[in-house]
Parts: sequence; structure tokens; C-alpha cells
Amino acid sequence: MTVTATTPAAAVPARPRTGRRAPWASALRVLVRKPGRIVGLAILVFFALMGVFGPYLYPGDLAVDPEAIYAPPSAQHWLGTDFAGSDVLQELVVGARYVLLTAAVAALATVVIGTTVGLVAGYHRGLADSALMRATDFVLTIPGLPLLIVLSTLWSFGQPLQMGLVLGVTGWGGVARAVRSQTLSLRERGFLEAARGLGLPTRHVIVRELLPNIAPFVAMNLLLAVIQFIGAEVALFFLGVVPFSSSNWGVMLNQAVFSGGVMNSPEALTYLLAPLVCILLITLGIVLFLDAIDELFNPRLRERS
Amino acid sequence: MKLVRRAALPLGAALLLCGAGACSTPAGGSSAAGQVFTTIDGNNPITAGAPMNPFNASGNSFLGYDQMQLGFSKKNPADPNDFFPGLAKSWTADDTGLTVELQPGAKWSDGTPVTPEDVKTSMAIALTQGSATVGAGVLTQGLDVADVKAVGPHTVRLEQVAGAHNIHFPRLVLTQKIVPRSVYGPLLPADVWDTVHASQNPDKGAAKAAQAAVDKLNAVGQKVSAFAPAKDVSAGPFVITRVNPGSAVLDRNPHFYAADKIAPKQVVIRHYTGNEQIWGYLTNGELDAAPYTSMPTNVLNRILKAGNKRVDSVSYVDAAIAFNQSVAPYDKLAVRQALAHVIDREAVTKVAEPVGGTASKTTTGLIQPMVEKWLTPDQQGKLDPYAHDPAKAEQLLKGAGFRKGGDGKWLLPDGKPWTITLQTVNGFSDWISAATVIANELSSFGIPTKPALTADFSTYKKEIAEGKYAVGFWLTALGPQTDAAFQRLYGADDGYTAVGTKVTHSTGKGSGNWQNTATSFTVDGATVDPGALTAKLSTLEPDAQKPIVQQLAAATNQQLPVIQIWDYTNVQFVSGKRFAKFPQQGDNALLANPPGVWMMQGYVQSAK
Repeated sequence: MTVTATTPAAAVPARPRTGRRAPWASALRVLVRKPGRIVGLAILVFFALMGVFGPYLYPGDLAVDPEAIYAPPSAQHWLGTDFAGSDVLQELVVGARYVLLTAAVAALATVVIGTTVGLVAGYHRGLADSALMRATDFVLTIPGLPLLIVLSTLWSFGQPLQMGLVLGVTGWGGVARAVRSQTLSLRERGFLEAARGLGLPTRHVIVRELLPNIAPFVAMNLLLAVIQFIGAEVALFFLGVVPFSSSNWGVMLNQAVFSGGVMNSPEALTYLLAPLVCILLITLGIVLFLDAIDELFNPRLRERS
Repeated sequence: MKLVRRAALPLGAALLLCGAGACSTPAGGSSAAGQVFTTIDGNNPITAGAPMNPFNASGNSFLGYDQMQLGFSKKNPADPNDFFPGLAKSWTADDTGLTVELQPGAKWSDGTPVTPEDVKTSMAIALTQGSATVGAGVLTQGLDVADVKAVGPHTVRLEQVAGAHNIHFPRLVLTQKIVPRSVYGPLLPADVWDTVHASQNPDKGAAKAAQAAVDKLNAVGQKVSAFAPAKDVSAGPFVITRVNPGSAVLDRNPHFYAADKIAPKQVVIRHYTGNEQIWGYLTNGELDAAPYTSMPTNVLNRILKAGNKRVDSVSYVDAAIAFNQSVAPYDKLAVRQALAHVIDREAVTKVAEPVGGTASKTTTGLIQPMVEKWLTPDQQGKLDPYAHDPAKAEQLLKGAGFRKGGDGKWLLPDGKPWTITLQTVNGFSDWISAATVIANELSSFGIPTKPALTADFSTYKKEIAEGKYAVGFWLTALGPQTDAAFQRLYGADDGYTAVGTKVTHSTGKGSGNWQNTATSFTVDGATVDPGALTAKLSTLEPDAQKPIVQQLAAATNQQLPVIQIWDYTNVQFVSGKRFAKFPQQGDNALLANPPGVWMMQGYVQSAK
């Protein structure tokens, strides 16, 4: 991990204006360097748009057509129909919002809690470190999926926010541990010693000096957490342990296997594959885009290129 | 219908298959030489570690194989007491009881004979099971055995409670589980029959003592349910030799009274966690027979292609949406009727139960063939079919004070939003599919509806009895006897209890009453107490039941304590690869029983 020293302006000679690039130009340069990064970003933007605008493309309720059960792909139904004759593409598009919003909320909660705990524990050390790390150890020992199955008997998880928060609140342990390690390493560096020597308040040191230096790491964890939480929530719906609506990727997988008999007959294959391919594409998009994120936040990598 | 929890993960399912023996000893493989019969028990997935006790809710005990009865019902709608012989060779019913002649060669798998004392112990245990296990209440309701006496080495006399006249007394006696006294006798207190007599005392002055006796019997019942015998002692054609997580293995019982009729040397009963596992077994050709399993048409085609033969028989079961009428707004008749008009039963059935379902023509508490048998054409014509008619539903709701909000969603009369959670059970693929379609229809109509799953059917029955669900799926019209069918609506689940001629009704916590249908309403100008009428049915011969059945059918059609969605057909599958001489299409009496009973009658012989 490379350190960006955000020392006081007075301590660093001003760079000539001509040597600096605008942030957007710099980001664009990093992105276009490898085609895979653009593909990754395009995939993520595509699904983000699907999540935001998808339900507006299909404002009505999902139509049921008993005369068109498991119809093959056609001009009318691009991805065919499901066990109830409903359009698979519509289910896919409408169901994206719940899945992506849940994953985003969960990832955000994980990163916010994990980063805060890791920064405070690593910077302060001592009693705060011990207390926060014991709490982290406790969270790490909680088996995630079984806990969610138990919690689903108490809560309905009808809204993405609920499920996202539960996933996030139980999933931040790993991030906290990793951020603490980073912080312990960084706090001994010269720029932080200088900041402390200047008498800058702790909050300033953590937020303005430490946080920017672990930002790449946090950003990568955020994206990786999205993959993890999509898997977790889809698994919950697939297992059928939470109430479902028919517009959800996990429910699609559940019904393809347990109601549609996809393991025993290929008619339901597109119904099964559609959400699976989407999950795969999101994973691919994130992995490809992570490369760009790493370089974007890592000046040493930028300088090499 | 049926079936409980599903596989945790596909990998888990694969491991279960291996555990079941599919990996190591394929059913019907050459080593078995056609002698291993592989099947599943539709009512009893294997529960590893559960006791080999038929009175345990998850017990490993399999009807017709190692679990025996005195007789096996032919489900004859014209004669409730039409049976295949089991441990009883013959029986004679009279006004006060039943005399049973046991099979003279009947022996337990330990070589000891089956005696009248075993029957006496079994009846005492049956009388302790009233509320010891969920769902047992309906089964033992009206058993009314007052005494059991040996009148010969193989003859036993069972007396009915004095004054009681229950036409189902022979049926209830003959279908009790018969267990060995040597194993289960020590669980019963020495004065158990005195307690039974005290519980059956109808005198008002003895009500307190009777209740204390019932409580005592229930306590014994719980002890019996939890009992874990060291080994299986069976009077049936097979005896359990081992239970793995994936399967139960039962070897032929050499002491069985008709061992010469039993062709398979071994029965393997596979574990399942959901319908899809059974579909897999069938499409892989692993089962010799499979009971009714819900499936979509695409899976049916694969199963037939794999060489299985479909055999249909009548099923006295209907899938319905039931209401807890103590929860608003389902206490309003107009609401239940409106919902019946919103749900398109034809569409739901076509999606959810295309193979084994026929959309219900209306709601009466009976399946359609029984409606045609019991009601006159004129009476059938007067039934409201509750056709799919959203406009009519809208009219009914507006009449009840409901209105639509600006977003097109219906609001309750108090102005609050109206949403429905439609409860169903994990693993019940037809109910889940139906719930999805119904939720879609109701949401489109303006009542946001979401299906919700309960982990398994045992939990579902427990939670529905606790009043946790306002709207959920329920099996109704369980026949062929009409009193049994109406007990699903106006029986224990509606707070009614019948002991002898005395019918009581209770509500509230702990009563088991989750339906909360009104105890009195007017039908065609007459006041009807549905629970009392239902209890009365069990005292009347079939011919005399007609006016009550007609009245209850009309009352149910008017009041809609449930909305019937489809009638089931009992679609079973048999494979001719390893065995021959299976019951044929339409052999309703045999097909109402598990394959072990077929074998006792000389069916299921090795394929040449």
C-alpha cells in the first residue's frame, strides 16, 4: 500500500500547475488504459441503471399467462417465460432493484462500520483497540448465513433496507480487522507523526490523514462486499427462508429449481440462467473494475504507467 | 400438497442422494436381483435420529411396512367401514362395539404372537394422543373406546362409550396403530383405563374430574410420543434394520402372517426434503413406486419418459385458502367473498397443479364428485360459483366500506392500507406456485399481497394453530367421509370438540381454534351451528347424513371460511423395471394405501 502524504501545504513546495492533471482526466486515463476496465465499468453502470430505472420500464404488475408456461425465447418474451407464463426479462429487470439495493446498503454498512472500528482501534490502540477488537471477534464468530436464517423467522425482510442493514451489521468484522492492520502500519509513518507533532486533533488525523490513505483498500472492500452480499441475499431467497415477492433474482432461482423442475427438465433453463448470468456479470464487472480502482487510488501504480 | 423442507444447497441434495444409497447401491441393481423395493413415504421423510415410534411426530415408522393397523381403509364413500384386512382377519360391528378376530398367525418380528393385550395397549395409547401431537386431534376424535377385553386367544372385544353412537367407530378402531405391549406397555400407568373412563364421563358434575383425566392422558401421551424404542418390533411385512440420514432400510419380516405374499426381500425408503428431490428420483428411474407428488407438466413428461407409469385414483383432498376470522378484515363475509371473486382458480390451478389438480367449481367443503353425489341438481344450481369477476369483488368491497386510494390500492374502512401476507410452506411447490399467482392477482386488483414461506409443515400447523397467520393455505374436503371433510372447517381447528354426544366450542389462546368461524349463522332462513351439525354427522348412517351435508355445503358456500382452489387427483407412479403386478389406474381402494398394503394383498411381484 502506498501512502499519499497529505502534509500541510506549507511543508511541501508547490508543484508547477502544468504538471497536474484534472481528477476526471486522470480517472479517464486510468480507465481507458485497459479495455477490461471499461467493460467492467459498463457492466456496473448497466446494472445500476437497471436497478434505478428498471421498475419504471415495467410499471404494471407482472402478468401471469397460464397459456404460455415456459414459453421459449421469442420476440415477445426475449428470455422466455416462467412457470406462470410471466416474462422472465421483466422479472429480471424489476427484480434487480431489490437485489442491488440490498447489496449496496449492506456493503455500505459493512464498510462504514468496519472502517470506523478499524481506524479507531488501530489509531488509538490500548483499551479502545482491545474492546473494539473483541467486539469484532464476536462479529466474526457469528456464522452469517445461519444467523440470517434464524433472523428471518423474526423479521420479514420485506424491504431491501432491512435486509441490507442486517447483512451489513453482521458482515463488517473482516473489514474492521483489515483496516486496523493498515492503520497500525500507517500510524508509525512520518507524515502521521508530523500531524500529531503539529498538535492536530485526533479527528483531523483520522479523517483527513489516515482515511485517504486507506481509501483504495476501503473502496475495493466495498465492491467485493457487494459480490458477497448479492450471494448471501440470493441464497436466502433461494433457500426459501424469507418471504418473497415474485420480482427477485433469488426467488427466480428458487422457483426454477423447486417449482419449475429445472434440475429434471430443461424447459425452465432460461428462467434459472437469467438471474445466474446477471450475478455472474456483476461479479465480472466488479472484478474488472477493481483493477481501475486500485490504480486510481494508488499513485505509485499511476506513476509506473 | 405435502412435503417439507428442501435441500439446503444443491450440493446438500447431491450428498443426500449418495447417503440414500443412490451412489453405492442403485435401487434394483443386479445385486438386488429385483428384490429391493425402493420408494418414499409421502407422509414421512426420514428423520435421522428420530425414534422408531409411530406416535412421534417425526418418528421413523412406515405405514404398511413396519407400522400395522387392524385394517386398511378402502376409502369407500358409500361405506366408511370397508377395509382391507390387516392384523384383523375379520370383524363384526354391533350397536355397542366391535369384535375383532386377529390373524391367527400374526406375530411380532421377535417371534412372539400378536395378542388381544397388544390391541388393548394400543387403544389406550391412542386415547392418550388427543393433543400430544399436532394434528392428532382430528384422528382420534370420536374414538370413544370404553373398554378392550380378550374373549379368546385371537379374539378381542372393543366396547364403545355407553350411549355414544358413532358410525365410524369400526373405522377409528381398525385404523389405530397396533404396537407391542412388551415395548409400549411399561409407558402406561396401571390405572390408565380408569383415567380413560373418567375422561369419558359426560356428567356435568364430573366435568372437572374429566378434564383432570384428559390432562393426565395428555401427559402420558407426550411421554409415549417421546419414547425411543431400542429396536423396531414390527408385526408388518417388514422391520426396520437401520435408518440413515438418507434412507431407512427395512428387511422382510419372516414372522409376518402372510410372508409368502411378500416378494421384496428389502424395502428402501428414501429421504426427501422437497418435491424436487422426488422428481429427481423418478427421472433417474430410482423408485419402484412413488406416492402423490405435486409437479409441473414439464417434469411429468420427463418422469414418463424415464419409464415410469402414471396411475391415477380419486383423491378426497382439496387445496384452499383459509382465513383466521378473528383477524380484520377477514371477519367480514363481503371481504372473503370479494377475494373469492378476485382469484382466478382456473389460472391458479393451471400454473400450480397442472398434473394433479382440477380447479374447484366452487366452495362447499367437499370435492366436486362428492358435491354431485350428495347435493341435488337444484341445490348445486343454487351454489354461488364465485366466478372470477373483479367488478363484483369491487362492488362487494365498496359495499363493506372499503375504498381505493389515489394510488389505486384498496384501503380498509378505517383508511389504513390493506396488505395481505399469504402464508404457505417451504417445499410445497404447488402451494408456492399458487401463492405466487394469487398474490399477483390480488396485487393487480389493488391489494398488495406477498407470499410468505414457513420452514416446514410441522411448524406451519403449529403456528397456524397459534393464530399467527391471517390467510394461508389449508387442505380441505378430506374424505371420503363427509364428517371428516367438514371437520376440517368446523372441527378441532374451529374450536369444536366432540366426546360422545357432547359437543363443546372454545376460542382464544390455547384452544387450537384458529379459524374462528361464527358458531351460528343463517342459511336459507335456518339458523345453523356448523360444529354441532358436523359432530352429528358422525352419528348418522350415510343415507341419513344427506340433509345435514346439504345444509353444511350451502352454509360453507355462503360463509366461505375457506376459498377452495383445486381438487387433487391422486397421481402416483410405478416402475415396471424390477417389479410387476401393481394396482392399475382406477384401483381406488388399493391406491389409497401405501405399497406395503398392496404387497399384503399379493400385489408387487418380481418382474420376470
